[in-house]
Amino acid sequence: MSGFEIKDCVLLSLMSGMPPAFNLRELRDRIAACSQDVLYHHFCETTLVASFDYPDYRNDFAVWASKRLGDKVLAERLGIIDPYSRSSLEDLRGEVLDIIDERLSEQTMVSWARMGHEFYFMKATTIIFDTGERIHQPEELLPAIRRMSNGSIYFHFLEARRRPPVGADDFAAWLVAFGPEWQPYVEALSGLDFYFSTLSQLKRQLIELFENQNLS
Amino acid sequence: MHQALDEYEKISGTPVIEQLRRLGDRLKGRKILHVNSTAEGGGVAEILSWMTPLMQDLGIDANWMVIEGSKEFFNMTKSIHNGLQGYPVVMHKRDWETYIDVNRHNAEKLRPLLQESDFVVIHDPQPAALLQWFPKRRGKWIWRAHIDVSHPFRPVWKSLRSFVQAYDASIFSMAQFAQLLPHPQYIIAPSIDPLSEKNIDLDVSELEEIRHRFGLDPAVPTLVQISRFDRFKDPVGVIKAYRLVARVKPIQLVLAGGGASDDPEGSEVLKEVMEEAEKDPNIHVHLLPADAHRTVNALQRLADIIIQKSTREGFGLTVTEGLWKGKPVIGGDAGGIRLQVIDHYTGFLVNTPEGAAHRIRFLLHHRERRMQMSRTAKEFVRENFLLTRHLREYLTLILTLLSGEWKPTVVV
Repeated sequence: MSGFEIKDCVLLSLMSGMPPAFNLRELRDRIAACSQDVLYHHFCETTLVASFDYPDYRNDFAVWASKRLGDKVLAERLGIIDPYSRSSLEDLRGEVLDIIDERLSEQTMVSWARMGHEFYFMKATTIIFDTGERIHQPEELLPAIRRMSNGSIYFHFLEARRRPPVGADDFAAWLVAFGPEWQPYVEALSGLDFYFSTLSQLKRQLIELFENQNLS
Repeated sequence: MHQALDEYEKISGTPVIEQLRRLGDRLKGRKILHVNSTAEGGGVAEILSWMTPLMQDLGIDANWMVIEGSKEFFNMTKSIHNGLQGYPVVMHKRDWETYIDVNRHNAEKLRPLLQESDFVVIHDPQPAALLQWFPKRRGKWIWRAHIDVSHPFRPVWKSLRSFVQAYDASIFSMAQFAQLLPHPQYIIAPSIDPLSEKNIDLDVSELEEIRHRFGLDPAVPTLVQISRFDRFKDPVGVIKAYRLVARVKPIQLVLAGGGASDDPEGSEVLKEVMEEAEKDPNIHVHLLPADAHRTVNALQRLADIIIQKSTREGFGLTVTEGLWKGKPVIGGDAGGIRLQVIDHYTGFLVNTPEGAAHRIRFLLHHRERRMQMSRTAKEFVRENFLLTRHLREYLTLILTLLSGEWKPTVVV
């Protein structure tokens, strides 16, 4: 059985080079033209970005629609999108554009944001590094998670879903090989609702999951 | 006195410190030089006074140098500062000549260090022109803007841009501040040091001593604004807000702050504030020495509400400090204050003295809400705005620049 290599990652945001969007139509056109890195950042990397807010929605487009455009209908429609359930970023882009186009067709006026409240298109660099830590048995996973940084949690539980096997987190993908004894944990990991969690909260959820005696 | 990195473990947690050490291992021995224009006073000097030793603690060969300048130079750079924050200032060719002369002088003085560093971080506009005297530099040069440049007075930005565009990268505190430049623009919010004199926990006896020294009445709610005496911090607007509240509720106001050696306007603004206060015994205006960190700490802890009614603000570290001490903050709807003050969550954003007065009364009336905001605010700061996050992002930036062309993912 192969060992589990514990990785860590850190993220740094930068400007994408695209002009900001002042209204919904500009937002739509920029989303249509932006790179996949920009789309991924605003949907998936928000949990790694330092913030004072704990917004209702977990992607930046929905938050902006709600807070800056004051368009609660659009915010609700965008806010429910689960980026991890889409087969590709292009698929995700298509869905977002459909929702915005529909909203534009419903409105008689294009909604605007106040000066200073524009949408800024960002991207990020993620530095991934090996912590040097290895675990070889499933029993070692819980203490390892307790020691993990938020970056490790992000890398192994969220970012992992982009890598083969697509859609699975690294913990579940590794535990599968240890047979039926660990299947309840694999299923519990797959069913974990992380959508509203910060990384610290997600770490606590994972610790609680592995501490749950009912699964063993 | 700076703390060793391990001292932060009990506040930020072991995984955070371990992560920093692992990143630091990949940069051991690299030479990083920070350059700014003041050794004390203001947020930049505070940041550099912890960042440099902590980088050294990680095995990085980090240094911090302060440029020298004449009175004319600092008057001129204050005008640049005001211009970048949107104030229409008149600047003559002769002013820019002074700027270039002082930078040339400092370039020669600091040449060996600047020439041999792997990374040079130039903070704010004052030393930005240094780069032009290093056409054959070996390291990467980064310009770090700490101020709100979201709506600069164009002639000033246009002139400064000519010095800044040749850098390898720039750093802004918020996306809203970034300007069009021909190099990558990274976003790094500043942070506070929880173990510094300004933020460390204080004994009740020390708080009581400061309360007594400043003549504050323990039975009357206290409103505190800590900031340099600068028009953009709107101290006169704070007094107006205080007066609107004082009509209906007993309250006392503390306006306190130090001067910075690169801010020649401070005494003029202080005079205006004293005139506005009109010897009201419940308005306490104090010009504090630059090293009065424990006093500032105590005043923030004695406050019922922290106010930071800036009309322009880079990030507003005094807001972060207030939130870390568990105080709700009433902040001007400007710059980095917007990032930190979330209505009904960590405090309130306001636009006018009337708005500030309304929110002061609201918070004084709803004690339970105030307590709830306090708890939330402190956890947000712990998670995202302590120096450990700030240091991590600098290390990430340096590793990113080392990897060459921008890539979404870099494995080191």
